[in-house]
Amino acid sequence: MQVPAQSRAVSRREALQSMGAGFGSLALAALLAEEASASDPLAVRAPHFAPKAKRVIMLFMFGGPSHIDTFDPKPILQRDSGKPLPFAKPRVISFPRRGGDLIGSPFEFQRHGASGAEVSELFPGIASVVDDLTIIRSMHCTNPRHGGAVLEWHTGSDTFIRPAMGSWLTYGLGSENQNLPGYITICQALAEGGANNFGSAFLPAAYQGTPLGYGNVKAKDAAFPFIGDGKRARLQRLELDRLAEVSRDHLELAGPDDALESRIATFELAFRMQTEAPRVQDISGESEATRRLYGLGDPVTEDFGRQCLMARRFSESGVRFVQCNSNGWDHHFGLEKGLTEMCAKVDAPITGLIKDLKARGLLDETLVIWGGEFGRTPTAENADGRDHNPHGFTMWLAGGGVKPGMTYGQTDEYGYYSVENKVHFHDLHATVLHLLGLDHTKLTYRHAGRDFRLTDVHGEVVRDLIA
Amino acid sequence: MAVRAKIGCIATLATCLAPSSVAQDGDLFEKRIRPILANRCYPCHGPHAGSRQAGLRLDSLAGMLAGGRSGPAVVPGRAQSSLLIHAINHDTSLQMPPKEKLPLAEVNLLTKWVDEGAVWPNAESLPHRRADQERTGKADFTEEERSHWAFQPVREPAVPQGGRTPIDAFVLRRLAEKRLHPAARADKRTLIRRATFDLHGLPPTPDEVEDFVRDDSESAFERLVDRLLASPRYGERWGRHWLDVARYADSNGMDDNVVHGDAWRYRDYVIQAFNRDKPYDRFVREQLAGDLLTEWGDAGRAEGLIATGFLMLGPKMVGEDDPVKQKLDFADEQLATTSRAFLALTVDCARCHDHKFDPISSMDYYSMLGIFTSTKTVLTYRVTSKLNATALNGAGADRSLSEIERRFDYHDDFVTNYNRATTPAQVVAEQKRAVQEALEDYFRVPKAMAASEGEVEDLPVMIRGSHLTPGAIAPRGFPRILNGSDQVRIGPDRSGRMDLADWLTRPDHPLVSRVMVNRIWKWHLGEGIVRTPSNFGTLGEGPSHPELLDWLARRFIESGWSVKSMHRRIMLSDAYQRSTARNEVAAESDPENRLLWRANRRRLEAEAIRDGLLAVADQLDFAVGGKTLPHRNFTNLNAGAASRDPELYATNRRSVYLPVLRSALYEVFAAFDFASPSTSNGLRSSTLVAPQALFMMNAPLMDEASRGFANRLDRESQGREADRVRRAIRIAYSRPPDAGEVGEWQDFLERYRVASGSSSGAWQAFCRVLLASNEFLYLQ
Repeated sequence: MQVPAQSRAVSRREALQSMGAGFGSLALAALLAEEASASDPLAVRAPHFAPKAKRVIMLFMFGGPSHIDTFDPKPILQRDSGKPLPFAKPRVISFPRRGGDLIGSPFEFQRHGASGAEVSELFPGIASVVDDLTIIRSMHCTNPRHGGAVLEWHTGSDTFIRPAMGSWLTYGLGSENQNLPGYITICQALAEGGANNFGSAFLPAAYQGTPLGYGNVKAKDAAFPFIGDGKRARLQRLELDRLAEVSRDHLELAGPDDALESRIATFELAFRMQTEAPRVQDISGESEATRRLYGLGDPVTEDFGRQCLMARRFSESGVRFVQCNSNGWDHHFGLEKGLTEMCAKVDAPITGLIKDLKARGLLDETLVIWGGEFGRTPTAENADGRDHNPHGFTMWLAGGGVKPGMTYGQTDEYGYYSVENKVHFHDLHATVLHLLGLDHTKLTYRHAGRDFRLTDVHGEVVRDLIA
Repeated sequence: MAVRAKIGCIATLATCLAPSSVAQDGDLFEKRIRPILANRCYPCHGPHAGSRQAGLRLDSLAGMLAGGRSGPAVVPGRAQSSLLIHAINHDTSLQMPPKEKLPLAEVNLLTKWVDEGAVWPNAESLPHRRADQERTGKADFTEEERSHWAFQPVREPAVPQGGRTPIDAFVLRRLAEKRLHPAARADKRTLIRRATFDLHGLPPTPDEVEDFVRDDSESAFERLVDRLLASPRYGERWGRHWLDVARYADSNGMDDNVVHGDAWRYRDYVIQAFNRDKPYDRFVREQLAGDLLTEWGDAGRAEGLIATGFLMLGPKMVGEDDPVKQKLDFADEQLATTSRAFLALTVDCARCHDHKFDPISSMDYYSMLGIFTSTKTVLTYRVTSKLNATALNGAGADRSLSEIERRFDYHDDFVTNYNRATTPAQVVAEQKRAVQEALEDYFRVPKAMAASEGEVEDLPVMIRGSHLTPGAIAPRGFPRILNGSDQVRIGPDRSGRMDLADWLTRPDHPLVSRVMVNRIWKWHLGEGIVRTPSNFGTLGEGPSHPELLDWLARRFIESGWSVKSMHRRIMLSDAYQRSTARNEVAAESDPENRLLWRANRRRLEAEAIRDGLLAVADQLDFAVGGKTLPHRNFTNLNAGAASRDPELYATNRRSVYLPVLRSALYEVFAAFDFASPSTSNGLRSSTLVAPQALFMMNAPLMDEASRGFANRLDRESQGREADRVRRAIRIAYSRPPDAGEVGEWQDFLERYRVASGSSSGAWQAFCRVLLASNEFLYLQ
């Protein structure tokens, strides 16, 4: 929080003095906490207009999952497998020396649900909830490399360090739970842009994503930074009470001063957060049925299942933006085996999350987003893999005010370029903000002499997607 | 290069449009081309002004050639230089039609049509291409633009009457105008704590405090300042300020977190520059063109090379597939840092269009950018491009290093990009071995992360910032609002970095001295005379004391650009030495303390917090300089969790020597608003968030520091509990305890002992509370 340089007209000190002697430090802290909330950066703020969704759960498939083998079947590609691509490749491609001819998908597709959406055999679970999804087959972005594209998805920029979408959302809306961070990312990889992907850049630090573990940590071992283990809570209470006393004495001599006062309040908030965050993170109270639903107990799905279950619990507790992270979707070679393994890890957990949110009545107010930083080429790389493809790929949304059971947009007949109803990352960013009640052209922050926004000068809300 | 070839074509546009070429393929146009334009383009770029987008008409050749907001839509005969063709191919950020890509057949037809001369039957007489000036720049400036305060020459204002020092005379005059009274001088304990943290980033020792308190001579404070300035601790503190401006980092941190294995030499160079009071004009020249300065001896040559690390340190998107875009992006970052650091101007805002607020055109931007693209900072522009280095041991060693670098670059490129399906394993193994051999040779050579002269070029203005749409040539030079429209050409024999350095350090430059003096003032007093130290443009704030700023800038140059003289001047003023005492009248009239009626209370910065904790615990290691990040060049820390390895910070060296890893900043720095090392910073924020409190409660560093502090008390005061409490307060707060304070602490110790059953635990808790308190963390 940027502490305003201006002091309030009536000082806290005067208010406290007027309440007489024997005023306990806890009461002081409570009063200060309440007082501080007026300028609290995470206090709930009204959106620009009535929102369709209150919260976001992002399921990020890092590496670039192949759309051609999952949600975007291409019969012509199957037919022409082995032939050269009949049109020009993009001006810039990642690995020109490894490129090959068209290669069909080794996986079978079927229509599912009342919507009849096509999903490959890799996602049997997701296929069973396909009527809850809005599949966008016409995604595209600008950068063909992981670093650029991952940053582009998270922050809207592949050129500069910019605030992440989750930071913009908490900046715009605040957080519904003052005892938890407003933006949590679970086990996110530090590769390819690293912490910049969940950083607040020039937005105040209060809006940065709080990492719950990193990509190299198992979900069950993930911990928030600086959270104590709870065993010292009683002694810590003694320390904090004494600290509040000392701070009050100091404030009487030095104050009034907003910064000094607010800092006293942050210790009480931290103490509450230290109790609340591990409680919400702890899934031991979940029923056996729920655990099974998310794939816990199966070593293949255990890790991502736990991420998804924690995400539901955080979201349920009012965390504005939660991200689950699956790493390993970069199939430059050995796609058939590699993609089969990756899909198996996330299929049941994602299905469980959708079903669980729905059963709890949370899906309507929670926007779920699935996807990676780009898709893959219909042409082969290293004979049995696919190269990066930012020009056309699939992402899907669920819940949170989007039209369920819809498949939107098209890539060309081989799946290389997005050609119909194209949706750029900027457009999807604008749409996500819109669903949460924010106008992406009005959510701005002044920095280095100009107003910045998530979508820079781009982005159009994709109204066709909105229920 | 290719870009320049395209320019040639634009320049000969008039020939391309000779009337004889018109009206031949009328049939093709009417049957195939016009229908595409009508169906696909007219709705937004047709005859109806109301629905027209971006001022562009595509219903006449004149409209296409005149273009819209982004410049001309077609270059007849040159599809690859035509914005229209790039737009329909959706291969740049400008994609048309926006939501539906045209069928391939239509794209091909339009491409062919443009390549064949964009023949438009019965076109009206051909329009003149708009003058470059009109499209790319502001040749003439308005009176308002010209009269902006920061562009005026630095004046020599008369010092007003009154005040103990000239600074006070200027400050008191403004206070008197508002009938405000300044706060009294701070007490001596506050002063020595303030001055020591200010110049060293450390608390004074209890002995230093008592010595100063006892010295009641008039020159006591002056001698204190001189003592502090003479210590090597000073450069470690003030060098770090400059490292904020220079966006110093030991790793790249954009996509690949590639190690800057020799960046530490630049860090040490900066620290030494401050300690030796290197004249600031010299400091500027070395950082921009140290490799080109001729007046060096052999030792100096190394120093000059290392100084150019300033240009090298920026974050780079190395995974950029387009080499031309990569070159422009890297240079853009160097330009942005240079212009913000020295000029406090956001020249980089003019990359895609003229600056929206300041009189800086795209032409100015590309004129300056050409200096940086003519400078070599990477070996070759390619995916995972590698930083340039220069051997420190003379030109011969450097030639051999260049040979090693070429070898490495070649094989590394192969290993990164070979086709697994078609390349024999033996070839791959050979190439990988060649990389290893080259690296072994490479790491044997002591080297600096240094810039050198590159392939010299004048860039075209890239319309909309895209290198696919080059416009008129922008000869290398400096912003015309500052240097006039009629500039001496920078020859093809040099990048222009030396010219840039010469221009910046001219004594009559309106910005460079003002900008640095303002930074020094800001780092001392908490706020600058201009509160936007890296933006003196129209969106920055004006100076609160314009005459004082000019007077200081004049003295700065007069002193031979001596930074230490400026410290003395500022610190010996009453304005610096005031207390933070609140005055209700002044608080009402000037709540932000712009007129300096009191001192600003400030939270310690991340480094001062950590160093202060370690100092109080008597654990700080004062070793000076050297390489502290164990990893070497070309290592990508994103592989695995190397960047989060806590071992990197398992040292008690001063914070300035800890590795600064972009995108994986040390957690203590990250928690307390360390300047983002990705951009040039003149300001740090001072946030108050709960994770900082969690840090104070649970972080290992707090645990170690409070235990170390408790152990120190145990060592230093064998006596009674009360004495130990007194000693602790003197160490942590630089003052003796108040009445009653010792008793309160003894009560706390007793409560804690009873609750925990541990005496040592109680002492550690006592220390932790002292160190977590506002009194420790905020400077009065």
